[in-house]
Amino acid sequence: MKIKRYPFLIFMLFICMLLFGCWSKKELRDLALIIAVGIDKKDGKYISTFQVVNPGNVAGATQRGGGSTGLPVALYTSTGDTLVEASRKASKQISRIPYYAHTNLVVVGEELAKEGIQQIFDVVERNPQFRPTANIVIARKQTAKQLLSVLTPVDKIPANQMIKTLELTEMMWGENVGTRLREVIESFSLAGKEVIMSSFHVDGNRKHSDDQENVRTMEPTARLRASELAIFKRGKLVGWIGKEDARGVLWILDKIKQTVVTVDWKEEKEALSYKVVRAKTKVTAQLRNGKPIIFVTVATEGDIGETFVAIDFTDPKQIVALEKVMQQEIKAEIEKAVHVAQKKKSDIFGFGEVVHRTYPKEWKKMKKMWNDKYFPKLDVQVKVESFIRRTGLRTRSYIQ
Amino acid sequence: MWLRLRNQNKKQAYPCDKVAQEGIYGTIERDLHANIEKIRNITGNSADIVIRRFWLGKEDNLSSALCFVSGMVDENMVQQLFIEASVQLSFPSMCCDQLEYIEKKIATANTTRRVKQWNDVFSLLMSGESILFIHGMQEAISIAVKGGEYRAITEPSTQLSIRGPREGFTESLTTNVAMVRRRIQHPHVWVEAITVGEVTHTNVRIMYMKGIADDNIVEEVRSRLQRICMDGVLESGYIEQFIEDETFTTFPTIYHTERPDSVAANLLEGRVAIFVEGTPFVLIAPAVFIQFFQAVEDYYARFDIATALRFLRILVFFISLVAPSLYIAATTFHQEMIPTSLVIAIAAQRESVPFPAFVEAVIMEVTFEILREAGVRLPRTVGQAVSIVGALVIGQAAVEAGFVSSVMVIVVSITAIASFATPSFAIAVSARLIRFLLMVLAALFGFYGILIGLIWMTIHLCSLRSFGVPYMTPLAPLIPTNLRDTFVRFPLWALTDRPHGIAEETNIVRQGDEQRPKPNQEMRREGDEN
Repeated sequence: MKIKRYPFLIFMLFICMLLFGCWSKKELRDLALIIAVGIDKKDGKYISTFQVVNPGNVAGATQRGGGSTGLPVALYTSTGDTLVEASRKASKQISRIPYYAHTNLVVVGEELAKEGIQQIFDVVERNPQFRPTANIVIARKQTAKQLLSVLTPVDKIPANQMIKTLELTEMMWGENVGTRLREVIESFSLAGKEVIMSSFHVDGNRKHSDDQENVRTMEPTARLRASELAIFKRGKLVGWIGKEDARGVLWILDKIKQTVVTVDWKEEKEALSYKVVRAKTKVTAQLRNGKPIIFVTVATEGDIGETFVAIDFTDPKQIVALEKVMQQEIKAEIEKAVHVAQKKKSDIFGFGEVVHRTYPKEWKKMKKMWNDKYFPKLDVQVKVESFIRRTGLRTRSYIQ
Repeated sequence: MWLRLRNQNKKQAYPCDKVAQEGIYGTIERDLHANIEKIRNITGNSADIVIRRFWLGKEDNLSSALCFVSGMVDENMVQQLFIEASVQLSFPSMCCDQLEYIEKKIATANTTRRVKQWNDVFSLLMSGESILFIHGMQEAISIAVKGGEYRAITEPSTQLSIRGPREGFTESLTTNVAMVRRRIQHPHVWVEAITVGEVTHTNVRIMYMKGIADDNIVEEVRSRLQRICMDGVLESGYIEQFIEDETFTTFPTIYHTERPDSVAANLLEGRVAIFVEGTPFVLIAPAVFIQFFQAVEDYYARFDIATALRFLRILVFFISLVAPSLYIAATTFHQEMIPTSLVIAIAAQRESVPFPAFVEAVIMEVTFEILREAGVRLPRTVGQAVSIVGALVIGQAAVEAGFVSSVMVIVVSITAIASFATPSFAIAVSARLIRFLLMVLAALFGFYGILIGLIWMTIHLCSLRSFGVPYMTPLAPLIPTNLRDTFVRFPLWALTDRPHGIAEETNIVRQGDEQRPKPNQEMRREGDEN
């Protein structure tokens, strides 16, 4: 009897399919979801710290006995000459395959940052799992491991707490900025831009930071707090910039979304708060006598948030005067930031890139010496235009 | 042994031309008693064959017999026949042809036919006609007094609509045909009769609009129906399986409906309807893929609503096709594609599940299919119990027992609801089958496998034909004008053309130009003056 050819062929194809097996199949149960990676260096060896999510204990993830018994994350530390080695070595402790696709945070210890971080990002680019969109922060005055071993109360997963804090403060206050791995890697290949990163440090008593006790109290003894911006130069940490100066950096980078500027009014110090709700910065470059000049134009729009003095907001003249004061305040912030960066000889604003785009030919000459020769003496002209859109629900305050 | 059986099978051929012109029972004899004996013999003296003997005419000079199947004739009519025949009729002795006289006198109410062959006698008798035998005559008269009980017209149970006619087809062929004809009152609604089934002699009607339907397609339908040679047709599904273009496909290439308005609409688009005696399901051919997503209500609702619902249905079909396989692929191969917080939530639930995602999905899907099948077959009173057990088993208990994850329950539920929301059951079933194939592919290759499966499905769909019409018309081949009634449903006045490739090409436009509603010109002018 002759076998019908067509069905037989299909049958054979089907059998073939089974030969592949379940190639690269990974069950969720067999994965260690690494949510954050900390990198330190000690005695020439890299110390990797992995914050691994323990899904069963994340509150809200499951209704069955969720969250109350165990800790939402576990910490594993592993040492190696390279990061890949450290990662593989971690299998001695972790029962599951380290899975980096959900790593949203990379923490670099301050020591390592000072030594230079240029080497550690090759693996990030090379590994298909790792996301270049992960946030990177520096552990201020601490090792990455110390920063990662703090339990947090509201967002149970400490890495998420840090990322979300960073995002929120960038949006509402504007002294910190979230930096992605991709931006860092990009900055290595750009001559006219250096990278800045936010830092975090542990506030309070660090002794029991990784204990459940830490989140059992109303005010945790150890708290994560965003602190200054780290200024990098050629992949090395060269200095810090904080407070209003840090905001000055964000103004120039056009990263300010919302913030509050507090200004003096006549004799009263810090009398009035201006809520910025919209801001736009333009940076342009010009060559004069072969020397580049940078023009920074900031336009802000906002409301009056609070006043301690009696001002008649119905009077347009008053408003215009107020706008002037605010412009000066913001301008001062920006100029201070420029000053700090120039002192550190690190073009964190990307002025070099602006020059590069406007004068590509001339840039080639300046390129090599930009950070050390041109940038520190760069003439930066700042122009701020503030606009008060609304004065809130009240025109005349009860303060008289 | 096996060989012998096979040989036997080979030898025995089905006598497709059994009922030849000459007949196998011969012709009617003059002797009434012999004829009655013959009927008794051949029908095995069946209890429901009634043979009523009486004297015909006032003169009582003609010994005759009326023969019918009880329950299939209108008993009142038969009674009237007796009365008329035996009481009122008087035979003029000199009449040359008494049969013709009887035929014209008795058959005042219904069609009659003269029969000579026993074959015809039996087929008419079995179809519910009454046969009048008269002693001394070599012919009998068949009188159509068909009757008997049928289910009344009720709302169709499979294709409900919120807006639209409530009546659905019944098991009566004549009623069904009439219901459609009532909707299209035009002489060009042509109905052809054909009998299918060598034993059942099932009446089948082909209905189409002459001049709108493509003659080639009508001829194709006719010839395919005539080709059928088998024992019996009990439902239109029998016919569907004998005349469809491709057997080895999960997709239906013939549409079936229970709604007369749907049949009418399809006739107007140039399709051919096939009615089968004894079933409320009418076949419509040729059918194209997109047709299974068109509900009658699409045309009764306004176009924006109809379009939104079309989109929803196609989405729903897609969900019912790929939802479980997406779950399998995402949780076993592409964990990076799930948002972090969600992957943690899923991982938390999968912690306690002992099976791989594929096994989990198969268990749940199969459980659901079992429940559904049980729900369909069970008597209505038990149905409730099943649904309670089902809800508990696949809903709560399975999750609590750590058997499956609650995400899986959600996936299965959304798949189930999606497959219920698909307007045509036929296409929903095919999605059900393909779903399992896609699940296997997803377990083997992840998204890559799903994509391979979907590409294969698309290629397969494009290769299908329904009565010579490509199944993916008007998408492939692309017919831009007919795209107006596919994923979107343009306003009715914009649907100017009947489907190309299905309807007769020379008579393709179905409405006048400028049908878009607008204010009367004169009225507008008046309004301007004001």
